[in-house]
Amino acid sequence: MAGGLGVLAAVVGLVFAVSFAGGTRVGGGWFWDFGNALGFLALGGILFQMIPSARGAATRKHERLGYWALGVAGAHALWFLVGDGAVRVYLQPGAPVAMWLGLGAVVGLALLTSLARMPDRMRVHRRFRTFRTIHRWLGFAVVAAAGLHVGLTGFYLSRWVQDGLLLVVVLACCLGRQHWARLATPPVATGAGFVAVGLVAAAGFLLLRNLGG
Amino acid sequence: MKWVLLGLLALGAGLVVLGPPPPILTARRAVVAGAGRPILPMRFVHDDHRGVPCATCHHEFVDGTVGTTCIDCHVTDPKVSALLERQFHDLCRTCHVEEQAAGKAHGPTRSCIACHQLDDQF
Repeated sequence: MAGGLGVLAAVVGLVFAVSFAGGTRVGGGWFWDFGNALGFLALGGILFQMIPSARGAATRKHERLGYWALGVAGAHALWFLVGDGAVRVYLQPGAPVAMWLGLGAVVGLALLTSLARMPDRMRVHRRFRTFRTIHRWLGFAVVAAAGLHVGLTGFYLSRWVQDGLLLVVVLACCLGRQHWARLATPPVATGAGFVAVGLVAAAGFLLLRNLGG
Repeated sequence: MKWVLLGLLALGAGLVVLGPPPPILTARRAVVAGAGRPILPMRFVHDDHRGVPCATCHHEFVDGTVGTTCIDCHVTDPKVSALLERQFHDLCRTCHVEEQAAGKAHGPTRSCIACHQLDDQF
C-alpha cells in the first residue's frame, strides 16, 4: 500500500508541478485556484487509475478510488457552476471545444465508473475480456478529453513545454505496462490516501499562487 | 450510487440551464448591435486602461482601417465575428496575466463573471 500511495503522490504531484513548469505561478484568486486544484487532483487520480497492472485482489480498491476521482471531478465542475454565473454559458451550445471536452470527460468518467461497478459489471459484461477492453478504451477517451480540456483552456498550461510535459505524464501512466509490472506490489491506493495527497497538493498549489510575490 | 450520480447530473444540468441561485450574478448571451448570433455581454472600463498604449487594442490606428467602430467588424462581420471570443480572450486575458506576473495592477485573469456582465448590473 505504501508503494501505491507513493506512486499516487508522484502522479498527482507531477500533474500539479506541470502547471508551474517554466516559472509560471500566476494565480487567479482563491476561488478559481481552488476549483482548478480540484480539477488537477481529479486528473491525477484518473491517471493513477490508468496505470496498467494485474490487480487481482486490489480491484476493489481500484473501484473505490474511481468513485473518489469521479467525486472530485464532479466537485470541480459544480464548484464553478455554482460560484461563477458566467461559466454555465461555456457549457451551452456555442461553447468552446475545450469546455465541451471537460464536460465530456466528466460524463465519460461517470459512465466508466457506472459500467465497472460490482456486481452490476458481471451482468452488463458477460465476458471479462470484453469488459476490460471497453473499460480501458473508455479510460483512454476520458484521459484524452480531460488532458485536452486542461491544455486547450490555457489557464495554467499556456506554454508548449507544459503541454509536452503533461503528455509525458499521461503516456507514462497509460502505457509502459512492462515497466509498471516491475513494481513489487500493484499500484493501488485508498480513498483516504487520495484525499491526503490531494489536500497537500491543493494547499501547495493555492499557497504558491496566492501568497508571496 | 446510480441515484446519486443521476441527482448530480440533474443538478449540473439545472445549473447550466438556469444558472446559480441568487445572489450570485448570472450572465446570458444576447444579440447586441445587429450581431448575427448571441454573444456574452462584456464590461469594459476605458478609464481602467489609461496606462495601456492605445494601439495595443486599437489596431485600426496602425493598419488604417478607419471609419468604422470595433463592433462593426468584430461583432457583425461574419468573417471575424466567429473569432470574437477567442480573439478577445487572448487579448484581454494575456495582458491581464502579464500585468499580474509583473506585480502591477491588473484586470481579471480567470473569473468569467468579472468581465461578462452588463455595466448596469455591477
